[in-house]
Amino acid sequence: MEIQGHTNQTITILQKRKRKPLGVGKVILYTFMAIIGFLQIFPLLWLFNYSLLKSGDFFGDTIFQLPSPPQWGNYVSAFTQGNVLPYFFNSVLVTFVSVALTAFVSILLAYAFTRMKWRFSALFMNIILLGMMIPIHATLLPNFIIFNEIGLLNSYWALILPYTAFNIPISMFIVTGFMETIPRSIEEAAVIDGASIWKILFKIIFPITKPAIATISVVNFINCWNEFIMAYTFNTMDQFKTLPFSIVQFVGQYSSNYGAQFAVMSLIAIPSIIMYLIFTDEINKGLMAGSVKG
Amino acid sequence: MNQLMSDKRTIFFLVAPGSLILISMIIFPIGMSIYYGFTDWGGIGDYNFVGLENFKNIIFNDEIFSTSLINALLLTVATILIQHPIAIFLSILITHCGRWEKVLRTILFIPAIISIVVTAKLWASIYNPQYGLLNNVLESIGLSALKQDWLGNPDIAIWSIIVVTMWQGFGYAFLLYYAGLKGVPDELYEAAKIDGANPFQLYLQVVIPLLAPMMRVAVIIAVIACLKQMEVVYLMTGGGPGNSTQLLGNYLYQTAFSSAQYGYGNAISVLFVIVVLIITVVLNKFLKRDVGEY
Repeated sequence: MEIQGHTNQTITILQKRKRKPLGVGKVILYTFMAIIGFLQIFPLLWLFNYSLLKSGDFFGDTIFQLPSPPQWGNYVSAFTQGNVLPYFFNSVLVTFVSVALTAFVSILLAYAFTRMKWRFSALFMNIILLGMMIPIHATLLPNFIIFNEIGLLNSYWALILPYTAFNIPISMFIVTGFMETIPRSIEEAAVIDGASIWKILFKIIFPITKPAIATISVVNFINCWNEFIMAYTFNTMDQFKTLPFSIVQFVGQYSSNYGAQFAVMSLIAIPSIIMYLIFTDEINKGLMAGSVKG
Repeated sequence: MNQLMSDKRTIFFLVAPGSLILISMIIFPIGMSIYYGFTDWGGIGDYNFVGLENFKNIIFNDEIFSTSLINALLLTVATILIQHPIAIFLSILITHCGRWEKVLRTILFIPAIISIVVTAKLWASIYNPQYGLLNNVLESIGLSALKQDWLGNPDIAIWSIIVVTMWQGFGYAFLLYYAGLKGVPDELYEAAKIDGANPFQLYLQVVIPLLAPMMRVAVIIAVIACLKQMEVVYLMTGGGPGNSTQLLGNYLYQTAFSSAQYGYGNAISVLFVIVVLIITVVLNKFLKRDVGEY
């Protein structure tokens, strides 16, 4: 269906192009859109540009300065002064465990809601979906008190568990939608062969569900990678801080090293941008699926 | 088959992991918030039950709370009246951009996937009175009279914040309307053209009314996102100058963690959740109008 739609579109475009090479309207449209696109992306270009400047050059009056020579040293300073490397490692660890845990738990839930027959199935699912509306910030204080009480502050779990919790509702929703489209006859055959539910789930359903898993994992990756306020609140020891914290690090003695600050910001932004460029369609699909629910 | 699918033990093990995480990370903390919201707890030591005192104070006497609500409302209204029309307009234009469509779509969306910390710090630099991009641009186009301290002026600061949240959130609104447009069947365009509609009539009278369901979704998402907005303010102004940019999430954070008013802070948390839930439900009911099938 999608492929067909795409071909149709290509055909219409081809036909149009044959008819008129490039009208005045199109030129205006393209110019206008190019300007809009440029304006939208300009703050980021400015960020990358300034991340290669000497801190002293920040105070010129020009908008865009060609760095001569590019100060790659800023990125080196980012690693040394901004503590980027250990924080980067923490971010990777926390993000990957959260993403994997969310995917695993969401598959189990989705299977229970789409296939298993039990009384409170619909009610339960609605309660979980309600979780989408709860603001993270409302749980900051109580969770801080709880974590403090049970000694969970300053640990990887202090981030992995709440990240997973807040990603479950939407992930479960997407996987459920996908599982509903899988024909039951496949499982029926497996049941006749004497397979258990667990075997069916992991050997048959899981491989088919992979596209949905990919979608939720990419979206959750970006959510976890970018998360700031919980990481900032629950983990105050250097050992467990995540990457967004390294910007806040630049107060006090390094606060005038603007070049390195901009380099740190670039380093945080780049993985998300790369993820988006590689998985554009998955991310768009994931965000759309979440929003249509409302 | 039926017996296997309603096996209570299996269902339990499918549902338990997800439920456990959600209960311990979201439901129980919110419950705890409600409990402490009725106390005067200061973080350490004993506390007394004060009944509805906290809630009464917040609603009737707390000016910062009402400022926060008004700011959130302003943010919401500005987003819907400014960002959304632009998003609709650009999503219409972009469908005419042929092979540039995908590139433009990606560029317009990129700010939305960048960490809020980077966005906040980046824009704080753009607004910076010493080396900021904005003042430099104004100077270079001869508008140096407009130069100022964008985040330091209490009359303007909230608008500076609104611009940032609009830039960051633009991608989501755009993506929703774009998907809505893609859902309008081609035959409708053809039919309208055959009936002699010009492009303006086509969009104003045929296509935009068909976007209504998507608008409902987009507006609800925007309202929730605006109410939950916090990190931008926390990182850029801390709610200042003089609480002029205060938002609920940030006020809650300051009360709880800077002034250690745990009882009062928890009461704000609870009201925060209630406000978000009520507005979501009301909007859902209010905006749910039947749109003809197409």
